[in-house]
Amino acid sequence: MFDNFFDGRWMMTDSPFVVVEGLHFSRGDKDIFRGVDMRIPRGKITAIMGPSGTGKTTLLKLIGGQLAPDAGHVRIDGADVHALSRKALFALRRRMGMLFQSGALFSDLSVYENVAFPLQVHTDLPEAMIRDVTLMKLQAVGLRGARDLSPAELSGGMSRRVALARAIALDPELILYDEPFVGQDPISKGVLVQLIRKLNEALGLTSIVVSHDIEETLSIADYVYVIADGQVMAHGTPQTLDVDDDPRVSQFVHGEPDGPVPFHYPATDFFRDILDTERR
Amino acid sequence: MIGQILNMGRRGCEVLEALGRAGLFLVQSAVGWPSREGWYLWLRQMHFVGVLSLAIVLVSGLFIGMVLALQGYTILVDFGAEQALGQMVALSLLRELSPVVAALLFAGRAGSALTAEIGLMKATEQLTSMEMIGVDPLRRVVAPRLWAGFVALPLLTIGFSVVGVYGGYLVGVEWLGVFEGSYWGNMQSSVDFIGDIGNGMVKSIVFALVVTWIAVFQGYDLVPTSEGISRATTRTVVYSSLAVLGLDFVLTALMFGGLS
Amino acid sequence: MKRSKTMELGVGLFMLAGILGMLFLGLRVSGLTFTTPGDTFQLEANFANIGSLKPRARVTMSGVTVGRVRAIELDTDWYDARVVLELDSGLEGQLSRDTTAAILTAGLLGEQYVGLSVGGDPETLGDGDTIRDTQSAIVLEELIQQFVSNMVSD
Repeated sequence: MFDNFFDGRWMMTDSPFVVVEGLHFSRGDKDIFRGVDMRIPRGKITAIMGPSGTGKTTLLKLIGGQLAPDAGHVRIDGADVHALSRKALFALRRRMGMLFQSGALFSDLSVYENVAFPLQVHTDLPEAMIRDVTLMKLQAVGLRGARDLSPAELSGGMSRRVALARAIALDPELILYDEPFVGQDPISKGVLVQLIRKLNEALGLTSIVVSHDIEETLSIADYVYVIADGQVMAHGTPQTLDVDDDPRVSQFVHGEPDGPVPFHYPATDFFRDILDTERR
Repeated sequence: MIGQILNMGRRGCEVLEALGRAGLFLVQSAVGWPSREGWYLWLRQMHFVGVLSLAIVLVSGLFIGMVLALQGYTILVDFGAEQALGQMVALSLLRELSPVVAALLFAGRAGSALTAEIGLMKATEQLTSMEMIGVDPLRRVVAPRLWAGFVALPLLTIGFSVVGVYGGYLVGVEWLGVFEGSYWGNMQSSVDFIGDIGNGMVKSIVFALVVTWIAVFQGYDLVPTSEGISRATTRTVVYSSLAVLGLDFVLTALMFGGLS
Repeated sequence: MKRSKTMELGVGLFMLAGILGMLFLGLRVSGLTFTTPGDTFQLEANFANIGSLKPRARVTMSGVTVGRVRAIELDTDWYDARVVLELDSGLEGQLSRDTTAAILTAGLLGEQYVGLSVGGDPETLGDGDTIRDTQSAIVLEELIQQFVSNMVSD
């Protein structure tokens, strides 16, 4: 199963940080995952890609323990996320940061308070120390000057950067990015790409990036999983995926509009549909 | 036919399930003593649901007291019993109107705002992200709002009564010329502190629990879309109003109806 | 989190206003008094019929409120109503022994209260004494009945 996983240069020394085994999940009658297996290497950026609507965000919520799978396990650093008590789960989450698609900044707090929030609730640090750490994190994302603004006054890219500063406030070991590039202008995208890579290098944390922005994601990812139809369709380094000859993979990686993933939503024959209307 | 029965059964199960979720939700968030920071969060919500609702509640109370006095006077004066005006105004306010009208106003002013606020926090993933930071949103977001509602509505009801009695005094004594001594005297000899004021406060506390619970739960449980928020806000006002009026009947029957 | 002094003050005032409002309701609307038992003394009076007199009704002398009805109970020795009155202690030893107590009605349909009027006996009533001379409440139905039977007999 993990054959080509092992040609990676990193795997020889270290066990994977996050392991997903045989994950099944359904919502209502709809199967979202039908047996997903993944191994997320420690200290690297792993991208999870796939067309919209394949449940990438759901996968992050399963990893974060907010949803429980129907079958299968998620292990983070050896601990089975869904077998933990509520208290242990919250303790585990302190070691994780998550960047939400919308930023999800607390609207009743200022930028500074948002970033200081995890420190205030989880540490007993004196106020002066919290201030130093908070300003440091804001400086890292380049928004130290915006500390007194309220989230409503920030642009989309800025609020995502503040959210990133908040996600790294407690120096987590694992950080989950949910669609970090969606709806960003090219400059913001560039800034975010650079930030994700720099943070990964500087803090040595494990990153999982969920995205369908191929170009940006492939430029920073060390390893890529492509999921579709509730299963892992392909995985490998960006280079191996680029030359993958599976038509589904190549359609996605090269962004072709029609292919094995059809352009049209399943429907009856077009002409018959039109004639039907006329008959009515 | 069978399909309809099955459908009804399914709806019944859904209602029971929602009720169970709501009960669990109440217990999980309201039980437990708040931290030092929790006090401050509570204070903020007190400002939001209490202080900011004060104006509408007091103005309504004043007008309702004035209308009661005006209506009461025209009826009582036919029997030559206009000196019983104070008694009538005070008893109708304390037993019925203050708890009920204040609760309805509270549901419209504060309840809907609570639903919309929590719903928006849910829609913008603030609640999820709080969970991911390792903070329980039930304790941090929901509990202060619940407790603020529990405390604020009884206080607002007191304010409503005081202003209403004063409004009745303005119209009855100052305008219509009822003798001041009999306005207060009749009131004092017929109003019982435990039986009337106490029972009115019990009603108000029950309404506070129900309205705040409905409002906060609807916000927490809604479908996080703009349509979901608007629906939940409407549901808050409709459900709380119905619950207040229905419970008012039950409580009145228990307290004053001679059923015991 | 930023602390806003005005907001804290606002909530403080709100709570204070609530407590003051409760005090107002208690004292002004329901007429609670915080007088200690030492400030009053008790008299008893038996009435054949108290009408609709209720506990906490006023006790007056010449129209001035001097106390309240503390309790009403059935006296099983005589099968009439024993009313316990609570009067200002300033009147202790001032009321003559032949003081009369009457149950009066304020207006035609108004509340009922106890009216006291002093007599000329030099001896006075003390705490726990009983007023002998009482006048029952006028019950409207009885009055009408009397009136009608008088008409018939005429």
